[in-house]
Amino acid sequence: MDIASSPRFFRRGPKPLTRLLVCCALSLALLVADAKLALLEPARGALSVLLYPMQWLVTAPPEGLRQLDDLVTTQTTLAHENQVLRTYQLELEARLQRQAALLRENAELRQTLGLRGQHPGSTLAAEIVYTSRDPFTYTLIIDKGSHDGVQAGLPVIDARGLVGQITRVQPLTAEVTLLIERNHPVPVMVQRNGLRAVLYGMGGQTEVRHVAAHADIRVGDLLVTSGIDGVYPAGLPVARVGLVDRNSGSPFARIDCTPLAGVAENRTLLVLNETLNLPPRPEPAPVPKQKSRRKHASDE
Amino acid sequence: MAFDRPKEFLKPIKTRWIVLSFLVAIAVELLPLDMALASWVPDLTALLVLYWTLNQPRRFGIGWAFAVGLIADVASASVFGQHALAYSVSSYLILARQRQVVMYNLGQQTLVVLVLLLVNQTLMVLARMTTGSLFAGWEYFIAPFVGAVFWPLLTNVLLIPQRRGTPG
Repeated sequence: MDIASSPRFFRRGPKPLTRLLVCCALSLALLVADAKLALLEPARGALSVLLYPMQWLVTAPPEGLRQLDDLVTTQTTLAHENQVLRTYQLELEARLQRQAALLRENAELRQTLGLRGQHPGSTLAAEIVYTSRDPFTYTLIIDKGSHDGVQAGLPVIDARGLVGQITRVQPLTAEVTLLIERNHPVPVMVQRNGLRAVLYGMGGQTEVRHVAAHADIRVGDLLVTSGIDGVYPAGLPVARVGLVDRNSGSPFARIDCTPLAGVAENRTLLVLNETLNLPPRPEPAPVPKQKSRRKHASDE
Repeated sequence: MAFDRPKEFLKPIKTRWIVLSFLVAIAVELLPLDMALASWVPDLTALLVLYWTLNQPRRFGIGWAFAVGLIADVASASVFGQHALAYSVSSYLILARQRQVVMYNLGQQTLVVLVLLLVNQTLMVLARMTTGSLFAGWEYFIAPFVGAVFWPLLTNVLLIPQRRGTPG
């Protein structure tokens, strides 16, 4: 058939099935490239910058309403809040003074013992822009990105404890993976006795795995970060033990925990930009190669 | 009431109206909602993909559905290709029977849309589970039902600019 002389109406390009197959192949390639190989972060960054104005447009009205609400707060409420905050500040002040003395003492002791100190780095306050609509992952989007010095891997906390970790950084926003994300590990220890364990996210809640059935861990124990992984600084509260099930059929106890940080209700989070100057990992022992050994033997 | 729309005279649609509808849909995707509410919010982008493929098959097809899917992937912070795959498949499915479905009344169309939205969600669940995510729970399948209920309303809203100024 003469395609060039046929009317424009009849020319429709490739068949729908061909188009579908091309699009499906492309989507599957993208799925693998993104989920398994993580090749598409630059593209995601570029597209998210394009979406940023829209995101601002959508989040600005509620923000404006909140500010308006602040504006019309009555004086009595303000006075009351002021009073409460003043008391709280006094209390914190007192605690801080004690802590300063302890910190100094700790630093001196560490110095005399020759231990490496932890450098308390800068912190960065960030606001939650929105929680991800993706129901498969537990992530939040915050309003600070690589322009503000946020890097992937930094821990994120709120007033009550650890929230999670930065996993994706875009120029103006960053994605925080919450510690309830499935198989998200956090090295923790029991504050009461220093028992070390690893806390895993379960998709909604958390549990401690691989703790022996006879280990000294009780309901109500506070779990804090142990700081031995080089990601989370030591001593951040993480979760409270809610259930300990010592089943005689299993070598490990089943320990369910409730995260302390209020993930759903907070607006402001703190990104810890702390550099833990850990010594470099020891080189793994060299594996003797079969080939070289044979060569060695022939040399002898 | 124009349930038999093929008999109705409509003005040609402007491209900017299609673009605007998708901008609104992506904005809804970006709305800060809490997780419990989010599973009830219908996937407006998917509904629009179905609407435009059904009613403007010469303007909007599988390729555009794929492109819109990519933007939805970024907006919802999910894996690249997830929405793109689902949207291109559902766009193809509706295109295969477009001439038949466009003659249906809105009630019958709603049922077709419900099935296609469920296909969408199933595809996305499969895509995510094969790449290592956990099953998101049955709440994930609430949104298609809500979305299908909104189909007649959506159709009437999107026809406003085409109906304006036409007699009858």
